[in-house]
Amino acid sequence: MANQSRKTPLERVEYVLIVSTLLLLVVFTMQPLLNLLALSLSEPSKVAGFSGLSIIPDGFSLDVWALLLQHPNVQRGIFNSIWMTATSVCIGVFGTALMAWGMSRPGLPGRRLIFILVLVTIVFEPGIIPDYFLMKRMGLLNSPWSVIMYRAVSAWYLIILIRFFEEIPKELLEAAELDGANPFQVFFMIVLPLAKPALATIALFYLVLHWNEFFHAMIYLNDQSKWPLQVVLRQFVIEGDKIAIVGANNANNNIGLAQINIRALKAGMILITILPILAIYPLILKFFTKGTMSGALKG
Amino acid sequence: MAGQEEQQLATVLSNGNVPASNERRDERILNGFSAMLLGVRQWWPYYAMMAPGLLFFFIWHYVPIWEAKMAFENVRIIPPNIWVGLKNFQVLFSSPIFHQVLLNTLIISGMKILFVFPIPIMVSLLLNEVRNGKLRGVIQSAIYLPHFLSWVVIAGVFIALLSPTDGAVNEIGQAMGFQPVSYMTNTGTIRWVLVISEIWRSAGWDSLLYLAAIFAIDPQLYEAAEMDGANRWQKIWHVTIPGIVPTIATLFILNMGLFLSADLNQIVNMQNDVNASTIDIIDTYVYRMGLSTGEYALATAAGLFKAVIGMILVITSHLVSKRLTGKGVW
Repeated sequence: MANQSRKTPLERVEYVLIVSTLLLLVVFTMQPLLNLLALSLSEPSKVAGFSGLSIIPDGFSLDVWALLLQHPNVQRGIFNSIWMTATSVCIGVFGTALMAWGMSRPGLPGRRLIFILVLVTIVFEPGIIPDYFLMKRMGLLNSPWSVIMYRAVSAWYLIILIRFFEEIPKELLEAAELDGANPFQVFFMIVLPLAKPALATIALFYLVLHWNEFFHAMIYLNDQSKWPLQVVLRQFVIEGDKIAIVGANNANNNIGLAQINIRALKAGMILITILPILAIYPLILKFFTKGTMSGALKG
Repeated sequence: MAGQEEQQLATVLSNGNVPASNERRDERILNGFSAMLLGVRQWWPYYAMMAPGLLFFFIWHYVPIWEAKMAFENVRIIPPNIWVGLKNFQVLFSSPIFHQVLLNTLIISGMKILFVFPIPIMVSLLLNEVRNGKLRGVIQSAIYLPHFLSWVVIAGVFIALLSPTDGAVNEIGQAMGFQPVSYMTNTGTIRWVLVISEIWRSAGWDSLLYLAAIFAIDPQLYEAAEMDGANRWQKIWHVTIPGIVPTIATLFILNMGLFLSADLNQIVNMQNDVNASTIDIIDTYVYRMGLSTGEYALATAAGLFKAVIGMILVITSHLVSKRLTGKGVW
């Protein structure tokens, strides 16, 4: 700010150009999303001619959202996504923290071996088909637990947590041990409270990962009633299967949902799916950005 | 299929070392199994805490490696399968479809390295020039968002954006006098759709990694440059860019390590009947052959081929990166 006054006209023009370029990127990023939002909030009768460029709803109506949220397939998708994500996040955070704590203890016999075994899983992934057969063999095909357990503990987040735990001051732990705390007490009463910010970050990582999960849900779950929201969305928007949302009868008779332009329904569906991400976006910005920045500064 | 961004993140977050403390002790333990048993008495609570995680890694990561032996077998409906050695690989490598798939994978990865990789670097350089913290914050919050959306959502957004009848891109095109193009179902444009949508998703967020490196540059270097009368571009060229070259090198090498991936999640959502052959990659081939056609052995062989080459690439890139910049994949 101090050299603001020393700026030459050329420098001001440069600055305007730099900011404009970035604002162009903002428009490129946000316009497609805002367009879909406007589309989904427009008066159903005006959707047909709605411009792909506009970001202002033409008229205002919540019909699309209301109809989608009342639809049994969408409701089931939301329900499935929420419980599956919540379960995965709990298992993930807890499992990762426990394992990371053990692996962060210097002197743990076999520590290096375990570390290498974990690294091997990052480097070598035998692929979709062996995974599929594993699920089949375990009788998990068509069970939500196949999707929940698949990648329940991420090797990457494990490594991040190990790094964090390694930095906990030794004195703190030794003091607790002198007071007669056993390793479990140390973990639950000292380490976990200390690690709250790191655990929150990991929880958010897992939350985004599992909420956005569709591929394994798509290949493991045959039963439509078990599909998470992403797969319901995919069936409707990517596969173009109108019946999934509109319903066979309605699609033919042009009543109810089918009266609303399919385009607006697709837009609404996309937004319903990203709504939870938007809801926690401020938290994501806080934790992800801070985590990434501080990590990089240290490294 | 290791998430690229996770990998990048972990790299930046970690200081790039397998724990080396107590190395001597570890080696002794590795050498003597009896010593391990002795240690168990003292360390069992930690093993108990690690048990769920270890069990998870064993079942979900090591058992599939065993299952992958299917690649060397004739998979029969009624077991047992018959060992056929490398026959499946011979069939695979002589298949023209697989050649096309391999070529597609290389082309798409190449295009992404060439056209997607530099964008976040430029974005971070521009962001660093924005001195107004609030303005920068607003820009950052907007451009980071797509990173947190699934590829199903992003594909849905792009299908709408590129629609020949009411998509924004074709409306602009028509206003400029062009005929509407169906970008999603055009074999000439679909690979570019992959590139552009990848930019849409990662240009913002990936710039954060470089921005972090820029913020770590010693401010005195800028002050010295200013004393020498350097202007904005000279400072970028002589201070900022040299300051982030290690980060650029690390991320570039890591990207090379993922060359055979080309992003299954993206392509599985962008593929349709018309464009399928143009953007069919190894992973989509494995998925289709295995789970749609039921050619389990062939699909596993293709997957294993990718896994082995991928492993060599990742380890090589890790070693090269470690050597050059001190930072590796893990």
